Amino acid sequence: MSSLSARLLISVTLLLVFFFGVTIVVLDTAFREAGEQAQEDILDGMLMALIAEAEPNSRGELEMPLDLQEPRFGNLGSGLYGALFDNTESPVWTSRSSLGLNVPYGPSPDPGTNVFSRLRLEDGTPLMSLSLAVQWELNNGELKPYTFNVAQSLDSFNAQVASFRQQLFTWFAAIAVIMLSSISFVMRGLLKPLRQIESEISEVEEGRRQTLSDDFPTELTSVARNMNLLIGSERARSERYRNTLDNLAHSLKTPLAAIRTVLSEQQTSEMTERVETQIERMNDIVRYQLRKPATIHTETLGVAAVPVHHELTRLVDGLAKVYKEKNPDIELDVTEGIRFHGETGDFLEVAGNLLDNACKWSKQRVKLTIRPMEKGNIDSGGMILTVEDDGPGIPEQAADALLKRGMRLDESAPGHGIGLSVVKDIAASYGGDVRIAKSDLGGAAITVTIAPPQSAS
Amino acid sequence: MRLLVIEDDATLRESLCRQLGDAGFGIEQAADGKEGLYFALEYPVDLAIVDLGLPEMSGIDVIKEVRAKGKTYPILILTARDRWQDKVDGLSAGADDYVVKPFHFEEVSARVNALLRRSGGWATSTLSAGPVALDTSRQELKVNDAAIELTSFEYRIIEHLMIRAGEVISKTELTDRLYDQDFERDSNVIEVFIGRLRKKMDPDNTLQPIETLRGRGYRFALERNQDT
Repeated sequence: MSSLSARLLISVTLLLVFFFGVTIVVLDTAFREAGEQAQEDILDGMLMALIAEAEPNSRGELEMPLDLQEPRFGNLGSGLYGALFDNTESPVWTSRSSLGLNVPYGPSPDPGTNVFSRLRLEDGTPLMSLSLAVQWELNNGELKPYTFNVAQSLDSFNAQVASFRQQLFTWFAAIAVIMLSSISFVMRGLLKPLRQIESEISEVEEGRRQTLSDDFPTELTSVARNMNLLIGSERARSERYRNTLDNLAHSLKTPLAAIRTVLSEQQTSEMTERVETQIERMNDIVRYQLRKPATIHTETLGVAAVPVHHELTRLVDGLAKVYKEKNPDIELDVTEGIRFHGETGDFLEVAGNLLDNACKWSKQRVKLTIRPMEKGNIDSGGMILTVEDDGPGIPEQAADALLKRGMRLDESAPGHGIGLSVVKDIAASYGGDVRIAKSDLGGAAITVTIAPPQSAS
Repeated sequence: MRLLVIEDDATLRESLCRQLGDAGFGIEQAADGKEGLYFALEYPVDLAIVDLGLPEMSGIDVIKEVRAKGKTYPILILTARDRWQDKVDGLSAGADDYVVKPFHFEEVSARVNALLRRSGGWATSTLSAGPVALDTSRQELKVNDAAIELTSFEYRIIEHLMIRAGEVISKTELTDRLYDQDFERDSNVIEVFIGRLRKKMDPDNTLQPIETLRGRGYRFALERNQDT
């Protein structure tokens, strides 16, 4: 239930069900009550007509004529029934329509009053009946009680009500469907900027975009602006951090260089050698400690993905100048379009250290291969980088020692392996590792794996 | 050969210049980027040593500007920032090599010599042409495998001529490149030194390694050997 549109649709559906339900109940009740009222009025009219047609006989007792004005009383099964009772159990008269049926009539009301009642025929047909009790004065002046009864089948009324109810449901269901689909359509439009901001943020995370765009609706502009400020300050912070380290390195190393140069003007003595050793130690500490933190990869927001090929071309051009005399063949075998998801500096540090070492040790050939970690998926961000040379190679025991070296500077021999341990630190900070093996070219093959960024989930 | 050193740390710069001077180079020095750029563009320079972290104007900008103005002499970077990004930035701005601080002086001097040789089209540290062989790392001249004693000034002249073997080099250029600062520039002195060099290298006048082109200057005339 994390999607806004799903939440909204569900709430709207619940509300619709509730309001439409109430409306249906109210309408249905009103319709039924109005209908029942009309039925009662009809029954009342029928009863009055029946009374009007009753005639006293010679004894003054009431009798009904054979044919009544209302034809339905005469038709079998017409649904309209009538009966006249006196004070005995058996009726004085029943309509022809009730022939063969045992039509029940309600209890006899008090004289002068009428009463409606709901009853059922033996076959279950619902009836509405109206009874009116009267006192009739016979010729002898005696009063005799009579009860007029009319009853009407409610079948057709009930059918009307049912059809009304069905129409009610059909219409409301249709309205609900139309409302929900138009709401979800409108929602799509309304939520589009939200989806856009979401996809832009993930592009920023994956480094395919530097900042969020500024064409969002008013409600989102401040979010986008603040997000951009955050990205900017994050980027500035990491750059400031790097600059501080660089300046610190510069301001520590220049005096070291000065001491060393001045020292080399002196005659070599035990003293100069001892100072030289200390300079070397300090230099190693400065190099390792001030370079290492720059490699702590902090999932910085908005780090652009580095187009690997471009940076490698610059690097190889640079190395070609430095190794102009040796002039090694540097072969690049890089999967087209692959990008490094992280700091340019980190990538150059890995490739630079490895290629520099390879050029140093190679006889003639150096080869760099970069492949995506998942075959054919250059967008995942994971990559495998291998640098090989045709030099003497690295023996197995030495390989382990080389990779360990620099982990704790005070435990390692100074001046060696800092490059490789920096590579190892960088690989580790990107969730990868470094392996040393033997190359088909004859020398060492150093393989660095870089894991895909975590945020690409 | 005249070198330009741009470095803001006075102790380092002075010591470096002193030792490079002792090694036989003419030296210009600048303490900040702007002054360095001015020297780099206006003075006769065979190679520049540029620190990347300079006041006024960064080393990278100095290098870019020097290259933009069409200067092609080699540039060696001194950098405390030994991250590859900085090295690559420096090299692609137009530098030819780098030395990471704190360096040993020997490292700088070896790189400087290699760059100067390369700029003259020589691939190895020994420049050989016919029977003449100049070992630039040992500063030793041999003719037909016999070592020849040279003063430091004589060595600087023959090195300059040999590195640019085949090119005509004017007396003014030699004076500019070989004298430190602006003390007395007497072109006759050059003639005297050339004369001495000829006598030492070619006593019986059969080889004629140094040609005089009247009114234009001198040229090292022997063909370079193939494998160098």
